[in-house]
Amino acid sequence: MLTRIAGGDIVDPVNGRLGEGDLWIADGVIVEAPADGEAGRTVDASGCVVMAGAIDIHSHIGGGNVNTARLLLPEQHSAHLPRPAMTPLSNAGWSTFQTGCLYARMGFTTVVEPAMAPGAALHTHLELADIPIIDKATLVILGNDDFLLSMIRDDASATMIEDYVAWTVASTRALGVKVINAGAAAAFKENVRTFSLDDTVPSYGVSSRRIVKTLQAAVDRLGVPHPLHVHCNNLGSPGSAGTAAATIAAAEGQPLHLAHLQFYGYGTQGKRKFSSEAARLAELVNTTPEVTVDVGQVMFGQTVTVSSDILRQFSARGSAHPKKTVIHDGDGNGGGIVPYRYGKDFYGALQWAIGLELFLLTDDPWRVFFTTDHPNGAPFTAYPALFELLMNRQARAELIAELPASAMALTTLPSIEREYTFEEIAIMTRAAPAKLLGLSDRGHLGAGAVADVAVYRRDADIAKMLGEAAYVFKDGDLVVKDGAVVHYRWGRALRLKPVPDKAMVRRLEAYHQQRYGLSLGWFDFPDTAIAREQPFGEVPCRS
Amino acid sequence: MAVAWIGSREALVGDAAAKAADLLQSSRCPVFSLDTDIHGTRAAIALAEQVGAVCDHAGDGGALARETALFTDRGAMTIAPGETRRRADVVAIVGELPEIHHEFVGELATTVPDLGGGNPRRFFLVGPAGTPAPPLGKGRKATPLSCGGQDLCGTLAALRAQCAGRRTALPVSNFPAFAEALEGAHFPVFLFSGHAADGLALAMLQGLIADLNRKKRASGLHLPASESGWGSALVSTWMTGFPLRTGFARGFPDFDPWRCDGARMIAAGEADLHLRIAALAPEPPGKRSRMASIVLAKTAGPAAGAAVTIAIGAPGVDHDAVVYSSRLGSLRALGARTPSDLPAAAAILRLIAEQVGSEALPC
Repeated sequence: MLTRIAGGDIVDPVNGRLGEGDLWIADGVIVEAPADGEAGRTVDASGCVVMAGAIDIHSHIGGGNVNTARLLLPEQHSAHLPRPAMTPLSNAGWSTFQTGCLYARMGFTTVVEPAMAPGAALHTHLELADIPIIDKATLVILGNDDFLLSMIRDDASATMIEDYVAWTVASTRALGVKVINAGAAAAFKENVRTFSLDDTVPSYGVSSRRIVKTLQAAVDRLGVPHPLHVHCNNLGSPGSAGTAAATIAAAEGQPLHLAHLQFYGYGTQGKRKFSSEAARLAELVNTTPEVTVDVGQVMFGQTVTVSSDILRQFSARGSAHPKKTVIHDGDGNGGGIVPYRYGKDFYGALQWAIGLELFLLTDDPWRVFFTTDHPNGAPFTAYPALFELLMNRQARAELIAELPASAMALTTLPSIEREYTFEEIAIMTRAAPAKLLGLSDRGHLGAGAVADVAVYRRDADIAKMLGEAAYVFKDGDLVVKDGAVVHYRWGRALRLKPVPDKAMVRRLEAYHQQRYGLSLGWFDFPDTAIAREQPFGEVPCRS
Repeated sequence: MAVAWIGSREALVGDAAAKAADLLQSSRCPVFSLDTDIHGTRAAIALAEQVGAVCDHAGDGGALARETALFTDRGAMTIAPGETRRRADVVAIVGELPEIHHEFVGELATTVPDLGGGNPRRFFLVGPAGTPAPPLGKGRKATPLSCGGQDLCGTLAALRAQCAGRRTALPVSNFPAFAEALEGAHFPVFLFSGHAADGLALAMLQGLIADLNRKKRASGLHLPASESGWGSALVSTWMTGFPLRTGFARGFPDFDPWRCDGARMIAAGEADLHLRIAALAPEPPGKRSRMASIVLAKTAGPAAGAAVTIAIGAPGVDHDAVVYSSRLGSLRALGARTPSDLPAAAAILRLIAEQVGSEALPC
């Protein structure tokens, strides 16, 4: 059926379409306006902003650690159920089903789970397959696993390391590779309690920097579209801006993505030895074109931190609210679950301000990405409020007035007047993520793109406008109308499919037999195990 | 071969599913007992949501509830089985472990850690005197750590106190050997299960592990009382936000480990319909039970006393399946060992859900 979305304000930076016009959809893709102009269905978008479906590049929506967080915190779901409007986590999409519905309501149509343990790939994909409506993708974690660390220690060839990375990406059905506090989880197993970029992992003698550089090179040479996704060392520590700056410098001209930079924007100024280094980091990003970042914005309220940075999570156990945590030593990274409440105290206020500074002081919306590191900085359901803060300086000023002056004195935020435009929002949440992930079929509204379209009714209240889309189309299906889900469908997990080297497969078979007493088959699975039609969509590597 | 029965009369599968759907729709308080694979659980929870049922584990629901309570109420430090094999130089078996894990314990006894320092592995057994230990092979025995007549929790409490340098009324047997082993250990691992450990014992063990981690590393390997039960708990958690013992009678997922205890609901007469999904035909209900039941099991005949019986295949035997593997510490895909025409539980549950009528959304 031919669908016409009529008379909306089209915001499509990729194709240079900015202004009132029609959008045409047929057979799940966007098409040129037909010559005869006859539509089987017409959607009136007058008074609305029309953008491509949004893409979230970093949101922990499924997999072993996320499910453990659900298990740890049943009260966060049930206790808040009768009053959902009052507490963000009650809307956090704590089940797979809610996750898809709540994302779709906001006009998001593709979401990346950024931390899939290789050994939990089947579990992760089964959870993702139960998230309705949206497409998903995963980044697989490497950099604390014995096989890779041993190869680096033994000066294995670049080709061998690429073969291992390719096998891991292929067997886990991932879209990219992430390294999380490279080497720290392995070091923690040997009782190391702090770990920075030039520290070495005991038993291997391999530095964190060398692990990052090795993986960065392998990902690049394999043609993985998304650059190595780096969770730096020293997350959350005062002075961690130095670590982030050193990691940015380590990019050395090759593409590198730094995750949730807000959590590294901390200096040691002031009497509490905790201050904002966001301006310095933003300037570094501005002058390092090969680097992209996402922010990991903090918003106030109860949440839970879910991370495969087990060393950091172990050290954060004392700040748990409520007082219960899970710390799991996995085959590679493992993970830690620490519930946390961001209050409007000095520290919370500064974290909140640092995130906004990074958004507003980074010049290029193509290189800074919209995330709260769900649920670590805030549940993704806080996105509408965050859009409001980015697009409305008055809204920022009103909140700043409620926060401790001592914290605001250590940040440049009160002096920043920039407001994001709809075009910049469309770049940051649509066009740039698609480009970063290698998804040429989405993030724009040009002919041939998948018909993932979000239509927002204009409203002075930005949070309301972007929180409840007037219409959302996924692959051409109308899935949301007036902020409510009207049609349930099952999306796919987008993946790369590099061909594993046979010699590497044989080597891995022998390794798993010898070291784990299990054949490699225990760690692999057929697509049919997901029990859905077309559970995966293939994305090509760069040629 | 007949694969479905209404009462004791052979029936077409579609007719039996329709009858099951009728029973579920007319029930005021249905209880589902699950002993099935991941996809069977997904389908069961979707059906439970439609008909307002409670979902619990079919076997030792109490053991599974104790294990989930450790996480929901307190949290834990845990380690993967692969890392245990590769790193644990001190292995402390905490109480009686289910037989399904004896093979892995034996594997630990016949291998040596290859990561973390190269110590040989030493075994201890925590619990009252007489606690059965898994066979370690070649005459090897775990050094017992017991404390007079104390039960498992009391023994763990005394062990924790002595590890912290505090005095106890009664000493833990062989404590000097354990202390010396801990002193030289790189990564002690405690093997635990809800099978024989009560909630207090599990919490005490986690307190001990937390104490040890102040200066050194240690962790606990969770060996679930039931692999299918733990797998179902994981699925329930991602689909609803809650583990098993979750009900849907109030129109939303409602987690209450006491109120939604399936065995308690049946014994108290609260439930009026019991849907049982089991690998093998379950024991018939007691003679005094008037409650209707629907049985999905690998059976050649109707289950005694069941209003509806539908034969299903065994996961990983008759059909491909995804199951929780405690050896892997995660989910695992299994190919059918001896494929048959017997349907998977998930297929029958979806058939019933279609008869119930409303759209089964999450699955």
